[in-house]
Amino acid sequence: MSGSRRALAPRAALTLLLAWLAVYPMLVVIAEAASSDAVGAFVARPGEWGALWASVWISLASVALAAAVGIPLAFLFEWLEFPGRKTLGSLIALPAVLPPFVGVIAFLFLYGESGFAARAVQAVLGLERAPWRLQGASAILLVHGYSMYVYFYLLTRAGLAQLDESLIEAAQALGAGRWQTLWRVTLPLLRPALAGAALLVFMTALGSFSAPYVFGGGFRVMTTQIVATKLNGELPLAMVETVALALVAVAGLVVLRRTEGDDLLTALGRGTAPRRRPIRRPGVRRLATAAGWLLAVLLLLPHLTLAVVSLVPYGSWTTEAVPPVLSLVNYRRLFGEPERLRPLVNSLWMAGLSTLAAVALALAAGALVGRRRPARFRGPIESLIVLPWAIPGTVFAVALAATFSVYSPFTLRWILVGTVVLLPLAYLVRSLPVTGRAVLAAYRQLDPALEEAAASLGAGRWGVFRRVTLPSLRPALAAGASLAFVAALGDFVTSIVLYTYDNRPISIEIMSSLRVSELGVAAAFGVILMVVSALVLGLGARR
Amino acid sequence: MTTTGFVTLDGVRKQWSHTVTIGPVSLEMARGEIVALLGPSGSGKTTVLRLLAGFELPDAGRIAIEGEDVTALPPARRRCGMVFQHYALFPHLDVGENVAFGLRGRADPGRKAGEVLKLVDLAGFERRKPHELSGGQQQRVALARALAPEPRLLLLDEPLSNLDPSLRERTRRELHALIKRVGITTLLVTHEQEEAFDLGDRVAVLNRGRLDQVGTPDDLYERPASLFVATFVGRANVLRGATARVLGGSDGRVLVVRPEQLRFADGGLPGLVRERRYTGAAAFYQVETEHGDRLEVSGDPAAARVGDRVYLQAGRVMTFAEARE
Repeated sequence: MSGSRRALAPRAALTLLLAWLAVYPMLVVIAEAASSDAVGAFVARPGEWGALWASVWISLASVALAAAVGIPLAFLFEWLEFPGRKTLGSLIALPAVLPPFVGVIAFLFLYGESGFAARAVQAVLGLERAPWRLQGASAILLVHGYSMYVYFYLLTRAGLAQLDESLIEAAQALGAGRWQTLWRVTLPLLRPALAGAALLVFMTALGSFSAPYVFGGGFRVMTTQIVATKLNGELPLAMVETVALALVAVAGLVVLRRTEGDDLLTALGRGTAPRRRPIRRPGVRRLATAAGWLLAVLLLLPHLTLAVVSLVPYGSWTTEAVPPVLSLVNYRRLFGEPERLRPLVNSLWMAGLSTLAAVALALAAGALVGRRRPARFRGPIESLIVLPWAIPGTVFAVALAATFSVYSPFTLRWILVGTVVLLPLAYLVRSLPVTGRAVLAAYRQLDPALEEAAASLGAGRWGVFRRVTLPSLRPALAAGASLAFVAALGDFVTSIVLYTYDNRPISIEIMSSLRVSELGVAAAFGVILMVVSALVLGLGARR
Repeated sequence: MTTTGFVTLDGVRKQWSHTVTIGPVSLEMARGEIVALLGPSGSGKTTVLRLLAGFELPDAGRIAIEGEDVTALPPARRRCGMVFQHYALFPHLDVGENVAFGLRGRADPGRKAGEVLKLVDLAGFERRKPHELSGGQQQRVALARALAPEPRLLLLDEPLSNLDPSLRERTRRELHALIKRVGITTLLVTHEQEEAFDLGDRVAVLNRGRLDQVGTPDDLYERPASLFVATFVGRANVLRGATARVLGGSDGRVLVVRPEQLRFADGGLPGLVRERRYTGAAAFYQVETEHGDRLEVSGDPAAARVGDRVYLQAGRVMTFAEARE
């Protein structure tokens, strides 16, 4: 249609806006890092290289750990049938509703030096001191393994569900044994799913901040190193560190994308997935069921811990193995004192506003370049929308802070540091990939005939959008928006760099509560965050 | 039939690329007439339909409906009802809402929707969702939705292609009866000759973006205007060279003879029966001539057996110039 030429100006404008939001701050950081003499300092200090290396190996180890847990679980739940499989199968994705920082403090309360597990062991064995300390690389990996195996689990299950049983039968008919079939047919067919999960875990682990921040102790990874340097006031060095981490992220992205292969492999299998095989021997079946429920309890323990600790009044729990008093006093104080409620209100409005803006931008992108027919500026707009995903949160926060600490309207820079708008702006950019991908995918699936039918029935452009396009996009919009909202609501990485007293979000308040040993209040905030996240995600997943 | 030009396409052309051009197409349709646009896939049938609906704008030419020039009018203001090949029912709306979609701003859309649903024999289906309906029911909802705003022209894109073969014939008759009862001018697109012949008052044959012939089914079959029409519509033996000359053809021309215009005789074109396909009332024979040509002959099931040496004589034959490239 003739619309393509007319829409050139809005497309160019959207491209520029997205570039200003997602790329410009990174360019500013690169320029400022290059122009200072901090590069020399970075190269010279062994601590910097140590942190960078730690980031890389922790991320790779997280991938291995998450794969080792997630892949077998996926096979178990997709291929075998045993009592309770369905319930367990969805319970097992639970770590996903725990915002990273909340998950970390839940681990702290559960497995930390003075957590439930340590106290229990101490009480049983009659020890003087806590039997262990939850610190260093192993603690970080424990948290990563717990929260990130879900990616492998979900993607592998999805891949297995798409598998064509006749391919497996063909291999067996050609004389391949069970292991050979797995090795030569099943796993190669799963490659895109596995590579995708590996990429997700690697990027998430590389940008992970909460776990190293709380459990790292003397062990530094690049994200915590950047924040520490910035708090020390060594801004130029922080910029160099930021650029270094960004480079590692991009390198990881490129390398892992290459192993992903193309969709051809999955497109080939268009049959029915293999039927689940019931476990026949009763002993084995009971064992599997018991192991499954044990696993579910293990996965639910952090959530449970958080709930219990949130009921512990301040100072009432000292050396006992279990808290002696439980009451709702923390919640009453939280909702009774406006000053304590502030962080919750802050987080809600910032997450709400940034999600709304991210959805609006995603819709604009979809309307301008989302349809199946070719469109100018499609490539740039699509890349700009997903780009923030590849940038660790700390990196982007530092970049934003650097960009908007200068007043220079001609280079599109204003002083936003210290104002309440910078943090929601960061949330917005970090929400773009998830809303954008959902909306663009939905636009691509949209049957053009639906919009044409509406037009030929007399609906104008706005009428078509409101009455047909938007309702068709609704599930994708809800899914994208709920994910973005939950991520922003629980955000800690960017918040710790960009918050001000006036817009301090929940995660920051949790941290300050922990500092003054108000564990109950911190946990209560965590529970609220968890419940709201679960509700919003549930709402977003409804068809 | 006299064409009063209720719908006029005048030299309409649409260029997709250097190699693919549709048109120029000129076509007149009378009020209340059903025209079937017939052609192989890729011939540009759907493009012509979409040009009429306003989803595509022509590069040249003029389109008029009821004397009004609609060439540059957006789809929303053309008042053409369209039934899409896959129906394009709005999945988020129920049947009643789908049918009432085009009735915005009119008095009592609910009642009107109910009336139209009754017309397509789906009274009481208002609250069903499209995915709960069978293919045939979906097709009728799509038809009802297109008819509800009382359009000037009905456009059908392969209306029966999505249905079970067993359902097609009955649906075709019902569709024809309904269109005639409503009396709406209709253009339908199809690649199946039987469908076009059954539904169309006239059939327009589209070949590589151009109209080769517009006429009644009898016209097309008995008096095809081109080699393409002769071979695309109905079964035909296409002969060149020596075999053609025996049957009365001339050099440089292509001879076409229908299977039922060939019969076994005591003399004529000699050949060998290679295959016999029995269809009940008649049988089709594959006869190979001395020059290696294979002819299809329709005749009495007992007329010959595989391996028989036979002679063929032709009734009516047609000759054409070679097909244009």
